[in-house]
Amino acid sequence: MSAKRLIAAAFAVALLQIGFLGWMIAGRAAILRDGREIVLKVEPVDPRDLLRGDYVRLTYEISRIPAKLVANVPADGTTRDQQTIVVRLTKGDDGTWHPQTAWLGSPPQVAGPDAVDIAGTIKAGSSLGDGDSDATLWPDYGTERFYLPEGEGKAIEKDMRTRPFQVKIAVSKSGQAQIKALMDGAATLFEEPLY
Amino acid sequence: MTGYSSRVRQDIKRWRAAGLIDARTADVLNLDVEQNERRSLSFGSILAMMAALLLAAAILVFIAANWEVIPRLVRVGALFALILGGYVGGAVLRSRDHPAIGEALFVVGAAAFGGAIALIGQMYHLSGDESSALMTWCAGTALAALLLRSSPLTVAAVAIADAWLAVTLFNGFEIFSSTEFPHLFVAIVAILFCLSYRTHSQPARHLALLSLILYAALFAADHYVAQVAVALAVVSAACFAFAVLSPRPVDRIVQLGGRLPLHGLIGFLTGVLLLQLEFSDSDVRGFAVASAVALAGIAVAIVLAGRESRGLRWIAYLGFALELFIIYAVTMQTMLGTAGFFLVAAIILGIVAVAIIRIEKRLGRLAAREAAA
Repeated sequence: MSAKRLIAAAFAVALLQIGFLGWMIAGRAAILRDGREIVLKVEPVDPRDLLRGDYVRLTYEISRIPAKLVANVPADGTTRDQQTIVVRLTKGDDGTWHPQTAWLGSPPQVAGPDAVDIAGTIKAGSSLGDGDSDATLWPDYGTERFYLPEGEGKAIEKDMRTRPFQVKIAVSKSGQAQIKALMDGAATLFEEPLY
Repeated sequence: MTGYSSRVRQDIKRWRAAGLIDARTADVLNLDVEQNERRSLSFGSILAMMAALLLAAAILVFIAANWEVIPRLVRVGALFALILGGYVGGAVLRSRDHPAIGEALFVVGAAAFGGAIALIGQMYHLSGDESSALMTWCAGTALAALLLRSSPLTVAAVAIADAWLAVTLFNGFEIFSSTEFPHLFVAIVAILFCLSYRTHSQPARHLALLSLILYAALFAADHYVAQVAVALAVVSAACFAFAVLSPRPVDRIVQLGGRLPLHGLIGFLTGVLLLQLEFSDSDVRGFAVASAVALAGIAVAIVLAGRESRGLRWIAYLGFALELFIIYAVTMQTMLGTAGFFLVAAIILGIVAVAIIRIEKRLGRLAAREAAA
């Protein structure tokens, strides 16, 4: 390969990779900017990620969807691996949001002004029984972690066990969720900037 | 070596200018210098690569520390600059006769790309599992290897694919996560294997074959031990046979510097070992047959290919020692105490030593006789 072509190829590789990363950032920032805001109560679990640093693992009420809430249970009563689930949320009296109905795949009509649809994935398919069983689905929404500056994870995790924390989440039109802020009661602990 | 090749290149330029050789000859000579230079690994290039890997580790750990003093937008900008500087700087240096440092800078660029993926995951609290991040990193690195014709980047891509396999498997043991085995790995390794021809990366092909053996072993351990282990042993034995019976045509295809038999033997022994472990506490006859096959396989490997390859002989010796140990552990362990174990270990090592010395002597004599004739 001639020197000129090699350097041109190097520029191309760098710009492609940087462009891809920029596109990732822009997509996430767009959800933060334009998405509808909901607040969820948090139930923490812990560990630590070597590659990306300290984080607290978060689960929510919507991390456990009773099969009864699913409006369109398929005929054979089973879900597939990596299946999409859309959960419709409405605001409760306490200011946090709770699941009302859920659909495997996409919902039949768009959410009204009082409701927000959030999309998740069910990792492992399982049997739901005949619809009124006690089966539970465990969807992921991509919002199950909150990264913290090194060393702050343990303290926050301890506080979380003693009093209720909340998370403010932005949800895009397509249902993609993005954590906006971590709140200790009414006080905001970390608010995410767009970039 | 780099010093020598750059001197020869200057000489070629001078000869060309003086009219001693024509342009075609100059090109052919330059190409020859370049190709032979790639094969030699100088001390300097190893150090350069180690420095690049350390720098890569520093980048990743620095990001993991999530240091708030530097605003995240600055961190992202710094990584973008490292990506651009790594690739373009590497290309400039490689085209100016510093191939080792150039390749090392490519690796830094690829590491910065991986670091940036991790940083974005951290910035936006993405909980999507590590496996998709590693997959993206692997794809980006493979693309860079292809466009820059870089052997070290090809090796890096295979290594990242291995990390992906490990993370996917071991994250998979989390509760409620999918239990599907990541068969996609075979396709990824196949693509990277093809890529390695384009980037002239023999090390990447070696790593790819070893990765496939690892994959088969993990798959066997995870699911159907007997079937997968037998398949692994049979396919490996077939590779070994092809490579030994018609070495030139096979090596022209795989281009492994004649070392395909080594992979065949490693794969074969891994497969048989898995079978032995599977049979060890249930099926005495199965275990005996598998052990006999393993020992026979080792003997056949030494007879057929031991003379040509020292590396193969040592893998065979290692396999032999391992086999004796396992056979002892499974058949006798329950009857003898610790003293007996040490005694038998001593005897096994003695047998292995005598076997190695005899075989090496014999091969040495044969080689001497051939040299004399």
